[in-house]
Amino acid sequence: MQNSEELKWALLIASLAMLAMAFCMIAFVMYYQKRRFEEEKRISDIEKNYNRLLLDTALNSEETERRRIAQDLHDDIGTMLSLTKLSLNQLSKLVGNSGDEKEESIMKKSQSLVEETILHVRRITRDLVPTTLERFGLMEAIEEFIHKLEEDNNLVIAFQSNTEEFPRQGQKLELTLYRIMQELVNNAIKHASCTKIDIALEIDEEMIGLRVTDNGVGFDPEKIKESNLAGLGLLGIESRLAIVNGTVQYEQPAKGGSSAIARIPVNPASGNKPEPLHPFRRERVNI
Amino acid sequence: MFDSYFAYIVNNPISSIAVFVTVLPLTLTIVRRAFLDQSLRLLFCYLVAKFIIDLAMLHFAANRTNNIIFYNLSIPLFYALLGGMFYFKFAERPQKRFLIASMIGLFFFCAWDLVNSNEDLHNMREHRVVLYSKTVEGVLMILLILLYFYEIIKSLQIPNLLTFPFFWICSGLLLYYSSLIFIAPVIHYAYTWNNTMDLGITEVIPSIFEIICALLFSIGIYHYPPKNYAKQ
Repeated sequence: MQNSEELKWALLIASLAMLAMAFCMIAFVMYYQKRRFEEEKRISDIEKNYNRLLLDTALNSEETERRRIAQDLHDDIGTMLSLTKLSLNQLSKLVGNSGDEKEESIMKKSQSLVEETILHVRRITRDLVPTTLERFGLMEAIEEFIHKLEEDNNLVIAFQSNTEEFPRQGQKLELTLYRIMQELVNNAIKHASCTKIDIALEIDEEMIGLRVTDNGVGFDPEKIKESNLAGLGLLGIESRLAIVNGTVQYEQPAKGGSSAIARIPVNPASGNKPEPLHPFRRERVNI
Repeated sequence: MFDSYFAYIVNNPISSIAVFVTVLPLTLTIVRRAFLDQSLRLLFCYLVAKFIIDLAMLHFAANRTNNIIFYNLSIPLFYALLGGMFYFKFAERPQKRFLIASMIGLFFFCAWDLVNSNEDLHNMREHRVVLYSKTVEGVLMILLILLYFYEIIKSLQIPNLLTFPFFWICSGLLLYYSSLIFIAPVIHYAYTWNNTMDLGITEVIPSIFEIICALLFSIGIYHYPPKNYAKQ
């Protein structure tokens, strides 16, 4: 009888011990799995941040290089061209006194070529560094960009915004939006064979939206990405947006053409106004 | 007509609940259409077979007839159905081969154990529970579950185990077989027709964990289809 009681207790204790082990095993699997996932997530976040930093650095370097080239063009070549123009003017007076028509014609041609070159250098400089953007803000920069494009191309470009006074944003954010707008419009001109482009800039309390719509042939972004045809354009847009936590969405409107909408969280400019680009200064740009 | 059944249920409430609680995961399997998954289809078959066998055992027990033959015969069947679920979960061939071999092995082992535990197989009145088979089944099932847990941890394919059906099913089985593994051999001596040995509370532990197992199955099936599961 006593043996039977002992056996019962032994069985009970053994079963409870086994159950405790089973519970521990289940808890361990859950805990260990969770910990491993957290670890994986942490590593993935570090990698993501590192890639973002690399991208940021690359874009900063690109902007710095653009500024350096613009600076060299303005300070060195621009100055030399101005001096050349001055010298040509003086020479023109001397040639005019001699009365040789052929010499005079060559002189005028040279003067006009130098003037044209000066204009080209100014245009390239402006394209390289969006001075209007940094001085007056996004809306003015977009309007200037549109004005220049309409002069050079047979295009109708419409721009609208949901606010008359677009609040100034952080330098990096404004530059990102400007470059994306440039890329989307250039893409539309190059690839869409469009005659009309609509640019819309919208801002609310949380997000800024930039929409570029054209009436061209349209495209399927997924197919382009799958076929590795994305090139630097679409990838560049996504890379720039990744740095400022933005997103881009491509649509194909029912009436044809294509539409791209970039959304970026609002990041108002701090109290310090951005340093103007002109006069050019030889220092690194921190966008 | 039903007096004997009611009397049995009143006298053995926990083991009776363990019989009828199977309806819950069964219903959920149908409602959630969980049988579309290969593993859960086998679980559905297991639940149907278990429910039928349990009802038959309840019927015979209520009518004071030896029902142990059902218990003995259900061992290889249940292992084939429950172990079969893991066949679709294991990714590597050696594990699948081991699983098939263990099913065949357990079948023959059960047959031997049945003969070994019963001197006269034709004497159904004195039929006794197999001595080792249930324990071997428990050890094999626990081994399969641990192997599967190892695969889960290794592959890192399931971000949230709490919403993954098969994790709940494995947990239920692990608890049930853990509760049974030491008690199973003793049942051979305890559950005789003359019933000379009383196991006390230990006797109801497997029934309690059978109920818990069915509830965990239900939670798992409720989470079907699995969310956040990266299929291979």
